[in-house]
Amino acid sequence: MPELGRAALVVCLGLFVYATFVGGHAAYHRRRRLAVSAQNALVAAFGAAAVAGVVLLAALVRHDFSFQYVAQHTSRKLPTLYTISAFWGGQQGSLLLWLLILSAYGALSVLLDRHAGRELLAWVVPVLGLVGTFFALMLVAVASPFSTQAAPADGSGLNPSLQNPYMLAHPPMLYLGYVGLTVPFAFAMGALLSGRTDERWIVATRRWTLLAWGFLGVGQLLGAHWAYVEVGWGGYYAWDPVENAALMPWLAATAFLHSVMVQEKKGMLKVWNMLLVVMAFGLSLYGTFLTRSNVVNSIHSFTESSLGPWFLGFICAIVGGSLALIYGRRGLLRSKTKLESLVSREATFLYNNLLLVALTLTILWGVTFPMLSQAVRGESVSVGRPYFDFFLRAFGLPLLLLLGIGPLIAWRRASLRSLGKTFLWPCAAAVAAGAALLAAGAGSSKPGLIAYTFSAFVLGSIVLEFARGTAARRAISGGTWPGAFTDLVARNRRRYGGYVVHAAVVLFAIGVAGSSAYQTVKDVKLRPGQSATASNYTLTYLGLRTAQAANHTETRAVVQVRRGGHYLTTLEPGKNWYPAEQQLSSEMAIRTDYLRAEDLDVITEDFLPKGVVAFRILKKPLVNLIWLAGLVFVGGALIALWPDAREERRLAVRYGTAGAPARSTA
Amino acid sequence: MARKRSPARLVIALSVAAVLAVFLLYTSLAGSTVPAVKPSQLKTNSGKVELTGVVVAPVTGDSYAGGLRFRLRDRSGTAKVAVVYTGEKPPLFRAGREVYLHGRLDHGVFVGEPGSLVTKCPSKYSPAK
Repeated sequence: MPELGRAALVVCLGLFVYATFVGGHAAYHRRRRLAVSAQNALVAAFGAAAVAGVVLLAALVRHDFSFQYVAQHTSRKLPTLYTISAFWGGQQGSLLLWLLILSAYGALSVLLDRHAGRELLAWVVPVLGLVGTFFALMLVAVASPFSTQAAPADGSGLNPSLQNPYMLAHPPMLYLGYVGLTVPFAFAMGALLSGRTDERWIVATRRWTLLAWGFLGVGQLLGAHWAYVEVGWGGYYAWDPVENAALMPWLAATAFLHSVMVQEKKGMLKVWNMLLVVMAFGLSLYGTFLTRSNVVNSIHSFTESSLGPWFLGFICAIVGGSLALIYGRRGLLRSKTKLESLVSREATFLYNNLLLVALTLTILWGVTFPMLSQAVRGESVSVGRPYFDFFLRAFGLPLLLLLGIGPLIAWRRASLRSLGKTFLWPCAAAVAAGAALLAAGAGSSKPGLIAYTFSAFVLGSIVLEFARGTAARRAISGGTWPGAFTDLVARNRRRYGGYVVHAAVVLFAIGVAGSSAYQTVKDVKLRPGQSATASNYTLTYLGLRTAQAANHTETRAVVQVRRGGHYLTTLEPGKNWYPAEQQLSSEMAIRTDYLRAEDLDVITEDFLPKGVVAFRILKKPLVNLIWLAGLVFVGGALIALWPDAREERRLAVRYGTAGAPARSTA
Repeated sequence: MARKRSPARLVIALSVAAVLAVFLLYTSLAGSTVPAVKPSQLKTNSGKVELTGVVVAPVTGDSYAGGLRFRLRDRSGTAKVAVVYTGEKPPLFRAGREVYLHGRLDHGVFVGEPGSLVTKCPSKYSPAK
């Protein structure tokens, strides 16, 4: 069986190499049948990767401990779902998952995007092949999941921190996001190489980019929720390098998704779009490098593997080669139109780009500075939370404001009079919200108050856009308001799906501001029968209970919660002990008050002598808006992604009749 | 003949942006970075540092009363330092685990800042020992 897996990986590598070199040759010499064979090789590579995947999966499910990987990451007592999740729980398995997803994306994109044009697609194939070659080579030569050994009686088990339902969703979502950014990158490079730098490549990759961006966003939110409910520190984001590794490509992809709209509408920002897609893809590779190389101090500890230098070399080659190509083909990227006014929708997209890129680069600097300091001065440093929080406020708050300005401002040029008329109601909503919040005592945190006020402005803008659009639709076609609303969204899915995503971002901002700027924390030590007051809650520690589960022992502190003398609930925070893995995990207890929109979190910090338990009690206002924002985000992304037959026909006519641009090697 | 646009405005704008960026980054980093050292490097650092190392048994005391006491050694090496720490103890903390915490060396003992102790999750990408 392991031989089959190894053979499948070697075949996969061979097919990617074929797609790269033969595909490149075919594209350069315009040999159509050879180009088609390279595309077929890409599709077949998915088949080979799938075989390797099935072999590993079967070994995991069968507890075949002759596979080193299976023995290192599972045990006989491990529940089946976690056994399956061990596929991506280790270095080699997660690389195989990467390869599997990459080959699937590659195969699907060449099969589904044939309308993008033969010349463009012919160059996309070798780029996809090149990326696939790298990952297949790593699996064949450096980190194979099919190494074997004399099978032990049982395996070492899965890290208890990973024995959680989120392990089934969080990593695969992130990988679908990271790897998905390869497709727009490949099409962008294909556009440069083929000389087809009109918006054809953007239209072809729009949904792939949205899909990857959506998966990356959802993956991060799942990780944040996992950290919040499981890790037991009461927070959801710690600016840890591994967390930042997912945030950076997501921010760059956000900038790219917005910026391409300007190129489609006005033929501007072509160089920006090329740079943004290279940035997004480069950062997704960089994130993988960070998580596998242990070059930075992270709570997500990873072994010092030999993959680090390989990844670094590949990133340098990809980024360097892409930038050289953009520079060499800059003549093809000249805009036909110019920015006419700094107060226009084009300008707000440009400011959006600048702020998102600035935020991304400052996070990148914070993550990379320890490595650079070590390399240049021989002294490593650690970059703390205040650095990241400062720049999040400095760039994030203006970005939040732009969410409300961008959709309402006119293209080309907006007059002051029209601005005043357009933003009257959103500004009124913001001022009213700000005044109400100040009266309610929210002035204790200036950044929090500003975030809430800006959020009210953006929500006002979004509601205004929907209201105006629905009124206009109703005026044109009559019918009911709900019917007009549905028709409006159905006819403009991208636009209104985008507004729904903006609303999700606002909810997220309100949730983050509330749960960080206005949270309260209290540490107490209690004996059985003793009580403590935290905020307006009274907690009484009743005693301990223990229970035996399939692969762990649970110890729980029983805590009664009251407010104003009334009993609310009984919480049981505690710890689990996993004997096979010899590890302890913390299990936080959460009470969600939907009416007051706050969470009460109780964590058992430690079990002390003489029956004393150390508790940490947190009250986190509005934190659940963050998770609600995730659902709204998914809804908005789905609306934007939903196929639109009308638009497909329009694009087919547009590109069916458009002449091919002249190739230029300027 | 078309007039050639002067690049002076662009150069000035880029220079101002670069100076601002350097200023912002310097002031932000200067206040937010601490040297990250291992036990063998402690003697050359007298101020606040982030100390990383592997916990060496025995672990004694109570982090909420009197302080948790243990020793940290270099990940690859034998240099050790005694540590005393007060505050919340992460659930994964135990002898053999890699940890990092902020603090200062005081008369040969590293005094950790309350609440700064972080245990690295045992490696996701290497087998549990």
